[in-house]
Amino acid sequence: MYKLYLKIASRYLFKNKLYSFINIFGLTVGIASFILIMLYVNHEHSYDKFEGSDRVYRVYMDYLEGGKYVPGDANAYILSGPALQEQFPEIEEFARLRRLGEVVLLHDDGIFDHNTASLADPTYFDVFDRSLEKGDIANALSEPYSIVLSTALSKKIFGDADPLGKTLKIAGSGDLLFTVTGTMDNKGYNTHLKNDFLVSFKTFYTWERFKQDWDYTWNQNAYFTYIKVDKNADIAQLGQKIMDYVPEGLKNERHHIEPIEDIHLNSNKPYEAETNGNGNNVRFLAIIAFITLLLCWMNYMNLSSSKSLERAKEVGIRKVVGAKKPQLALQFLLESALLNFVAIILAMLSVYILLPSFNDLVEQDLGLDKAQLMSLLPYLAIMLVGASLAAFYPAFVLTRFNPTKALKGKAQTSSGGAFFIKSLVVCQFVATIALLIGTFVANKQIHFLKNRPIGANLEPVIALKGQVLNKTSDSLFNMSFDAFEDELRKIPYIAEVTGAGTYPGDSFDNLNSNMGITFPNGKTDEKHIWYNYSVGAEYFDVMGMEFVAGGPFIQTSQKSSNNVVINEKMVHFMEVTDVESIVGKTINYWGADWTVAGVIKDYNHSGMKSPVVPMVIRHTRNSQNVLVKLDRKAMTMGNTEKALDDMNRIWHQIFPVSTYNYTFLDQKYEALFKDEQKFAKAFQLFTVLAILIASLGLFGLTSYTCLQRTKEIGIRKVNGATITQILSLLNKDFVKWVGLAFVIAVPVAWYAMDKWLSVFAYKTPLSWWVFALAGILALMIALLTVSWQSLKAAMTNPVESLRSE
Amino acid sequence: MLLQLNNIFKWVNSGGQRIFLLKDINLEVEEGEFISIMGPSGSGKSTLLNVIGMLDTFDEGEYNFLEESVHDLKEKHRANLYKEYIGFVFQSYHLLDELTVQENLEMPLIYKKFKGSERKAMVADMLDRFSIVGKKDLFPAQLSGGQQQLVGIARALISNPKLILADEPTGNLNSKQGEEIMELFKQLNDEGVTIIQVTHSEKNAEYGSRIINLLDGRMI
Repeated sequence: MYKLYLKIASRYLFKNKLYSFINIFGLTVGIASFILIMLYVNHEHSYDKFEGSDRVYRVYMDYLEGGKYVPGDANAYILSGPALQEQFPEIEEFARLRRLGEVVLLHDDGIFDHNTASLADPTYFDVFDRSLEKGDIANALSEPYSIVLSTALSKKIFGDADPLGKTLKIAGSGDLLFTVTGTMDNKGYNTHLKNDFLVSFKTFYTWERFKQDWDYTWNQNAYFTYIKVDKNADIAQLGQKIMDYVPEGLKNERHHIEPIEDIHLNSNKPYEAETNGNGNNVRFLAIIAFITLLLCWMNYMNLSSSKSLERAKEVGIRKVVGAKKPQLALQFLLESALLNFVAIILAMLSVYILLPSFNDLVEQDLGLDKAQLMSLLPYLAIMLVGASLAAFYPAFVLTRFNPTKALKGKAQTSSGGAFFIKSLVVCQFVATIALLIGTFVANKQIHFLKNRPIGANLEPVIALKGQVLNKTSDSLFNMSFDAFEDELRKIPYIAEVTGAGTYPGDSFDNLNSNMGITFPNGKTDEKHIWYNYSVGAEYFDVMGMEFVAGGPFIQTSQKSSNNVVINEKMVHFMEVTDVESIVGKTINYWGADWTVAGVIKDYNHSGMKSPVVPMVIRHTRNSQNVLVKLDRKAMTMGNTEKALDDMNRIWHQIFPVSTYNYTFLDQKYEALFKDEQKFAKAFQLFTVLAILIASLGLFGLTSYTCLQRTKEIGIRKVNGATITQILSLLNKDFVKWVGLAFVIAVPVAWYAMDKWLSVFAYKTPLSWWVFALAGILALMIALLTVSWQSLKAAMTNPVESLRSE
Repeated sequence: MLLQLNNIFKWVNSGGQRIFLLKDINLEVEEGEFISIMGPSGSGKSTLLNVIGMLDTFDEGEYNFLEESVHDLKEKHRANLYKEYIGFVFQSYHLLDELTVQENLEMPLIYKKFKGSERKAMVADMLDRFSIVGKKDLFPAQLSGGQQQLVGIARALISNPKLILADEPTGNLNSKQGEEIMELFKQLNDEGVTIIQVTHSEKNAEYGSRIINLLDGRMI
């Protein structure tokens, strides 16, 4: 019997090619989108999830600013970990990690750069539940000058040879030898705190590199600190106790803890280890995934119910020859199952094929490995339940037909059924319009961020960064460095060159945060955080920063002075109205006097998510970055390549043993909202898909209503209605539904997008036209889809439709 | 002369064979005539009526309606022609179930772009003429078959057509109701309306002034 049913089902699907195609296509698109999005969402949620991760917390600092505590810093003090553990028995262990910045490793003649690395306490492995591929985990980080490499890095340096016991040098640390004590496999390990290698924390106390930090007191806060708490600890209480605890020597700050699992998606503090993901975006995407899935099922119900009308006669005949309701229901359910099964298989296949392109789009390396697939299993269950529910409705409708009526071809579906289908369509349009609004707002915001003046000219500027590996003396190095800059200035298409400690778009790490400053009027501020960095005299010219008062530093032979340039925000801090009056005056911090040479207009240093911060820019010789401003006018097309080649050549002529790389400032700055761009792209893609699915549903519904109104259309035409009049009669309803959907969608979308925008310091307004545009677009899509069918109905010769007597 | 059919042929191709639905039909209808078309099932009665009503096309021959060559007219002109001069009455009435009697009568007038006040007057007039004023707010389902057909005829008449085409107008009615409808047709004919009806019943055919017999698409 089942075999027969399956045969009939497959024959039916083959016979009704358009219907089967639309149905399978809609389901496939919906399910495939769902799987793709959920792979991404799962990946984002997989950060820092390990055995016991629910007991691991990061300690960070709150600053007291204007009488209130604000999250100030993702790092804590070197003493925070030990002090907290001593104070609170609930803390089982702590692990501190200090970032080493970009580190170059040397082995024999090999140079290995672009490494992210940290000093780490031996407890790291336990707190983070890591294991070693090679080496003794108990002692790997217990001795000074021990180094644990990632498997990938070890392979790069040593090939297939056993790395244990081998030694490495770190550029800039002379002949110090570091011994490899272990390797760890980072593949598939998702964490906010990535490390290519770890150096034992004990190294800190003797390593010259950290000489200036050796007076370790409540002064050094560059230490990521993680605590593992007891299973039975009351976290809320512990958190409060930690906040209330003020160690001696800590002023205007307090400790705070946050779950490690929340960091990747929900933490966006200054000095994060990396630009974290955006939890809002991930939640949005998950919602979109479920909407897409729902849409495709609604669609399926819609299409099959409307199609069922055409099958009334078949049902009538079956009933007349003795089919019982359950038998009929089983037949239609099997048919649905077959269709859904085909769609799920096709969806899996599409995911497999599309994954690489999807990875490119969202810039991730998502895989379809076993673990990922297993994590999708619960959703697959949802899918199956949903699909069978979707299948049940049409079966239910079909078996209800009265056989004699059905045989006459007069299947009357109840008004309840019509209402059901109409509500499905309205729901689909609510989703479509909301998604459209979302896409528009997300794109508008990104456009807004991209075009918002940042107060500096990034486009023709390149940052060069290199590390000289055979540095002998500072004075010699400075001379060579001056020579390098002078050589660059000789190139005709280079407009200006400067040294700079950091630049707009660079990471937070190279910016100093400070508290405590004395203004020219003698007032001292101890409550606000301000930032500073150092640059060469030409910096303001290179960056195209505008002065509101005074001017840049005067160049000196030492390329360094006690002149500073401050921004308007800093002036605002001083509560001075006459900007000019500050120029030439003295401010005091770090126990020294500094002369204000000029005041620049506010510019955005760290992207548009954060507001402008008060800034002091010092005048110092600087070899961290060389900023090169190209003269676009003196360049022809494609000359950027040549410029890069020239710079590379000159650098290596002067510094033969060195690393070297370059960055385009505008690109680096844009990367600060990469996550939002990815989000907008994904949002856009899935909106298009959702609209496609919704259109398919509408297409089905139109054919349903047109069929139902065949007789009416015929009568009206015989009585003189024109095609246009029939068309407007049929389309009027759809316009009403889109209108209703619009009314429902607007507040939902407004609320959601308002929330999405709330994380940005600068946001585009939610203009009325965005909503109007989405509404009009949805209406146009609806009308286009509907008209295809209704035009066909309106053009049918009434003789055809009235003949059925 | 109201209309003239010359050598009308209509066929369909089925399985490589040409099947004739109408074969060499020649017919002249004067204004004021009452014609009955008779013949067995499948003889082409309804097809002929649809061709005359311009709802259906033909493959060969000439058709002149009020001096216009229908065979040369474009679809749109043809539609305008029948909308203006022809009213249709169907066996199963074809009233719109969702509309009241009054609204059903008003529908053709809306499509002919009569003003609201005019429509009202014309509908009232027609309700009065057929003595169905009391039923104007009822829906078709609340009427008997005879009453429904009465509304159907009223609707066909409302915009003053020159010709009424009726496809078995009494087919769904009992004999008493049928008789009443035929009497009505006769009365309308006496008032000057040209009528062409398709019927199976000899008795109903008698009401007409002329009978046309069809067999296999051919006039005999």
